[in-house]
Amino acid sequence: MLFNSHVFLLFFAAFLLLYWLARANLRTRNALIVAASYVFYGWWDARFLALILLSTALDYGVGLALARTPQPGPRKRWLALSLVGNLGILGFFKYFNFFAGSAEAALARLGLSVPLPALNVVLPVGISFYTFQTMGYAIDVYRGALPPTRNLLNFMAYVAFFPQLVAGPIERGRDLLPQFERPLHLGRARLDEGLWLMLWGMFKKVVVADNLAPVVDLAYQGDPGGAPAVILGTLAFALQIYGDFSGYSDIARGAAAMLGFDLMVNFNLPYTATNLREFWQRWHISLSTWLRDYLYISLGGNRRGPGRTCVNLVITMLLGGLWHGAAWNFVLWGLWHSAGLAAHRAFRNRRLPPRANPKPARPPRVATRVASWAATFGFVLYGWLLFRARSLDQIAALTRSLGDWTAPPWLGSALVNVTAFALPLVLMELWQHRQGSLLAPLRLPRWRRAVLQAALLLAIVMFWTKDQPPFLYFQF
Amino acid sequence: MTEVEPRPPPMISHTYEFGARDVVRLAGPTLIIVAAFALVMHAGRMLGTWPAPRPTLDVDRTLLLHQVEAASTRQDATVLLLGDSSCLTGVDAAALGARIGERVLNLATLSYLDLEAHALLLRDYLAHNPRPLRAVVLLMHPEALRRPGPEDYHARLLDSLRQRTEPTPAGGLHPRLLRLLGLDVFRGRFLCRWLPAPLPGAFGRFYGFSADLETFLASRHGSLVEPEPQPFRGNAEYRLAPTLESASRAFRRQVPPDTAFFAGITPVPAAFAGPGYPDRRDALLEQWGRWLRADALLSGLPATLPDLAFAKTTHLNAGGARHYTGQLARELERRLPAP
Repeated sequence: MLFNSHVFLLFFAAFLLLYWLARANLRTRNALIVAASYVFYGWWDARFLALILLSTALDYGVGLALARTPQPGPRKRWLALSLVGNLGILGFFKYFNFFAGSAEAALARLGLSVPLPALNVVLPVGISFYTFQTMGYAIDVYRGALPPTRNLLNFMAYVAFFPQLVAGPIERGRDLLPQFERPLHLGRARLDEGLWLMLWGMFKKVVVADNLAPVVDLAYQGDPGGAPAVILGTLAFALQIYGDFSGYSDIARGAAAMLGFDLMVNFNLPYTATNLREFWQRWHISLSTWLRDYLYISLGGNRRGPGRTCVNLVITMLLGGLWHGAAWNFVLWGLWHSAGLAAHRAFRNRRLPPRANPKPARPPRVATRVASWAATFGFVLYGWLLFRARSLDQIAALTRSLGDWTAPPWLGSALVNVTAFALPLVLMELWQHRQGSLLAPLRLPRWRRAVLQAALLLAIVMFWTKDQPPFLYFQF
Repeated sequence: MTEVEPRPPPMISHTYEFGARDVVRLAGPTLIIVAAFALVMHAGRMLGTWPAPRPTLDVDRTLLLHQVEAASTRQDATVLLLGDSSCLTGVDAAALGARIGERVLNLATLSYLDLEAHALLLRDYLAHNPRPLRAVVLLMHPEALRRPGPEDYHARLLDSLRQRTEPTPAGGLHPRLLRLLGLDVFRGRFLCRWLPAPLPGAFGRFYGFSADLETFLASRHGSLVEPEPQPFRGNAEYRLAPTLESASRAFRRQVPPDTAFFAGITPVPAAFAGPGYPDRRDALLEQWGRWLRADALLSGLPATLPDLAFAKTTHLNAGGARHYTGQLARELERRLPAP
């Protein structure tokens, strides 16, 4: 069930009514959330429910077993069971064909023809998100950072909570689980925030992302049309993927807020970043912090010298890239960002004042900030080219075409489209950045805000299509 | 006896700290603005304040709108091409004009429209272009000749474009909501004028956006290139629809008496049509020509062309159109009356 569908709107309206009826009993509420979440997820394919149940049962059981096991050795084995189980599910459904195909191609280059079996299975929607969420829970329990829950119903609700089930944010157990264990209070401010987030998220998806998609397709389908087309298409993709994914996150947070739940902020104006490290502190925060806390730090983080830090960065970003999909372009994308992060780290360490003389650094000049922003954005933009391309050959062709400045005849129309659909998003984000708050629109005077909301609502209705283009991150 | 402890009451799930009044205060102003917008849009439409609709939202609408506007503006063409999409894509009007030394305008539309629609475009053209035409050329594909009538949607669309009104909304909740909120007025009369719509599939890859398609049509004097090769479909048992007789006679009445009127049937892929088709085509053309009372039938045009010349059963590809345009030029050079 897609957020941008009539079915979801009906589903959510019916759910709000049932939710109101269930207000007197916490158990009933959580049972209702589990039932609704399974309906929501099973709407794609009821068979997918078996996987989510398997993942839930595995980590619920591991949590309980860890609580009963004080010895480090057996505790490690329980954790290993969770990791192997979750990564096994993910590997089987998402990566089997990729690794088998890559191995076959590598052997073929050595002159060995070894046909490996290919699986003909559909990738279950959201599998990368909920397996990481349950794995994070098991690691937290193992580390003693979170007491295991004994309530199976609460754990099922935590894993399957429908607003964030299929595309995040990847919630931590310590943040979301307690919310299923206590009464919630839904005030006017929360309702207000929820409605705004749903409206703005829907605008970013239906109006911005879906209308930029044709420009991206034009630039990335067929022969590359020269540098102007590739740059404009990649810029459109940068805004499309942002509008699509952050739009989903906003709708998820808004829907959860209307139920009284708090979900983490997943995007914090990432394109305002003036260096790559800051970009990753603002982009897909729930995944980047997950990778930092459970992978980068587990590998030793930056505690073992610059060389090892660099290796840890590469491993983390490489796996972050592979998390997005089983293809070499995602591997390249991860490597590209790890190289950028390592370079930024080296550059920053050279510029930091010696510790013995901690003079406060002067704030950078406007020109420096603008140059830093442009360099960061340019770096991220080429990363999106690697991400959006469908093969290594296409990456090579697109990169080569950056030296050819002929423009296709449709460039003018595409530019008008990108400007028209990106401008509202860019202006809003600049304003939010200046105000220092993602919820700045809620502080507008009543009628000014009404005009803004009416404009968003009318635009959503106008560009709503019955085709309901799916969210890009569903495929990850 | 031990005392049984009473079960604790179930824990409250959640509390609502707002009422219906708060919801109205939150959503009310937004809905008032939405209603005001709808009111202004509808009022402007009814009072005739807004510019005419230009709903260039897809290939069909952009194309039809271009031809309707071309028919209702001063063009001063000397040869007018009319017909279905096989004429639209099979003849390059600009190249034809250069070959025969005439100003040729292609007002052909889509296969979903019938002779009555082509007659309306001819009538519009004549009403806006006092300079006399030397010839009207009507070219149709045999598949269009056996169709009993136009598609309702396209007929209504042509009607609304000619009348400068919004097309009747399709069924379903969303189109009705668009109309209720005045969004069809806003999109068709304002947004479409400065925001080109992306075209789908092969049309998108070949032309880009609606504005680029319009530019292409204008540069080719109303002709189009079929960008999408498709496997040949349908059956080749061609015949004339019974309704074609009256439509043909009505069409003839629109052609001015001092203008030469030629009719032809566009080609079919040779392998698809089968070996007996050329004779069949000649018989069809002769019968249709009698109904049309054409001054001459373009029987010298080929009934079939090699399959390689086609993008699909009814449309020539760019190379095929070049070849066919040359053959049409030779036919017209032979038949056009002296100036």
